[in-house]
Amino acid sequence: MIISSIPILFVDLVGPILMIVLSLLSLRLVFRLRKQDSNNLIWTYLWWICLALSCFAMSRSAGHILKNLLLMGGQNQLWAAIRPYSGAINTFMFIVVGSVTLFFERIWKIYQLILKDRGEIRAAHKKLLFLNQNLERLVEERTNALSISEYKFRQIFEVSKDMILVAGKDGSIVNLNPSGYKLLGLNKESTDIGDRNLGEFISDPESWQAVMDTVHTEGSVSNMELDLTTSDGSVMRILLSGSRTEPSDTVEETIHFLIKDIEQHKLMEEQLAQADKLASIGELSSGVAHEINNPLGVILGYTQLLLRNEKDNSERHGDLKTIEKHVRNCKSIVEDLLSFSRKSKTEKAPADIHQVIEDVIVFVQHHSDIENIRIEKQFQSQIPPTMIDEKKIKQVLINLLVNAIHAVGKAGHIIIATGLKPTRDWLSVTVQDDGKGIEKKDQKKIFDPFYTTKPTGEGTGLGLSVSYGIIKDHGGEIEVESKSGLGTTFTFMLPITPYTQEN
Amino acid sequence: MNRLDCRYTFAGGLAASLLLAADTALATQTHGQPEGLYVHQMAHIFFIISMGSLEFWLRQRNLTREKGWKYIQLSAVLFMLWNINAAVVHFMDEHLSLLGIAKIDFWHMQIEIIPGQEGLALLYYVLKLDHLLCVPAMFFLYYGLKVISKNNRRAAGSDPMP
Repeated sequence: MIISSIPILFVDLVGPILMIVLSLLSLRLVFRLRKQDSNNLIWTYLWWICLALSCFAMSRSAGHILKNLLLMGGQNQLWAAIRPYSGAINTFMFIVVGSVTLFFERIWKIYQLILKDRGEIRAAHKKLLFLNQNLERLVEERTNALSISEYKFRQIFEVSKDMILVAGKDGSIVNLNPSGYKLLGLNKESTDIGDRNLGEFISDPESWQAVMDTVHTEGSVSNMELDLTTSDGSVMRILLSGSRTEPSDTVEETIHFLIKDIEQHKLMEEQLAQADKLASIGELSSGVAHEINNPLGVILGYTQLLLRNEKDNSERHGDLKTIEKHVRNCKSIVEDLLSFSRKSKTEKAPADIHQVIEDVIVFVQHHSDIENIRIEKQFQSQIPPTMIDEKKIKQVLINLLVNAIHAVGKAGHIIIATGLKPTRDWLSVTVQDDGKGIEKKDQKKIFDPFYTTKPTGEGTGLGLSVSYGIIKDHGGEIEVESKSGLGTTFTFMLPITPYTQEN
Repeated sequence: MNRLDCRYTFAGGLAASLLLAADTALATQTHGQPEGLYVHQMAHIFFIISMGSLEFWLRQRNLTREKGWKYIQLSAVLFMLWNINAAVVHFMDEHLSLLGIAKIDFWHMQIEIIPGQEGLALLYYVLKLDHLLCVPAMFFLYYGLKVISKNNRRAAGSDPMP
């Protein structure tokens, strides 16, 4: 097959020239890229690729051109001599280009790592620059924020109405807020709390031990009811919560306690319970008294009718008199029950409380042997006349005074004082004795009907419950304060109601 | 004679006999003409593999989403094709006795072939025009680099690399 050689000759001459030109142009481009960023690893890699390709293109193209020129010039032998060198160089350049190309993946990975590191260094540098330029301001802002935070928490600590106490792991007091000093009865200026332990103030050592055990095992304790003995010896009920903080490099292990005084709350709860109880008893008593009162009236009426027809010294007359006496006693008790349950009608009229007290003292002095008992009066002169049921208030005063006389025994000192509570517009009457006092366990029951500590036959146990009913019926309050062996103070308070046309 | 002396005597005797008995069989191996061809063909295969790996990694790293690298990928593919082309031509030139090339004059050549295998002659003729593959390959490399360079300048300080 005879075929034209022109296309092959043309391509074989022009192609190598283009190869050389293009490879050199590529090399120039990469050279410029490298010049722009000499640290860029990818440009360096492309530079090596292009350099290898240029060498390859030149070696191959030069060989081709030389071959064609020598063959055209009839220098076949010369070409035969040059040919092995040309082919060897060409083969070598193949291998160089291929080898360089194979490194692409590794180069790219390294380049990405460099980029990542560079990004991180740039970010760190930016941050450092920012910190360097703004350090003073940042420190100032942070200090201010800390100051505000410290002030806020200091305020909570200082202003809290509950005791906040920071203790060491053994309960020794580290820090105490003003409410804590007040609650424990300590003087902030004169007391060194450094050598005090919270456990000293907890009345029951076993309870304190239980608190500490719980804190150390479970990390915290919440809302434990305990009795706290203050530095002046008085006991109050408290609600204690505490939690342990883990020690750090700079701070030792501490326990933070929050202690709430619940004495008043507990007293109110007890008073409410007492009022509820007395109200229930009152309801029951009034029902019973009402039902008994009518038959007693009938018995008394018929007894008195029968007495009319009997001679004074007869045996039957004596029996009927005994019946009459006991029926009258029963009626008296029933009336007391009705007074306690506030079912008997209260008839208020303007009266001077001091005059009422004077009358009662005179009455008691006439009816009792109280030669060695001194009754002292401490009257508040500015108490105006007020609307009261004089007869019933006298009954209350007699009950309280008689109780006081019984308490002091044959000799003693009783103070009857009056006072004003301007904030509530109330008057108060206090009967204070220096007698044997009432045991704490009995104090809760003294207003219960039929509860008495007197021997059988000496009291019905209705005096104080009747007094309670009368004072409540006047819209007032009655309370007792007593310490066993030191005496008792009964105080009743009444609202001052001036006389008007309406009342 | 102790054991050490025996050893020295044996080693010396062996060295002397090797040197004195030297022959062409023990000289450096000679490399005839076919070796060059084989090395050249192997270099083509190596070139194909390296260009194939470049093309693969360019795709793998999603670099081909960028125009410049896309052209470089195309260049790699063309270089692979050119290498295949060149390797086949070398094979036909050197290994097959199917063809016979004779120069008639400067403008004409004769391809001798077994009757019925004219297509093979035509294929050989076309494959001889191998610059039609390697020149475009070089052109796309140049163009790809040009695009990358342009993008790099446009980025003005930011990194043009993805």
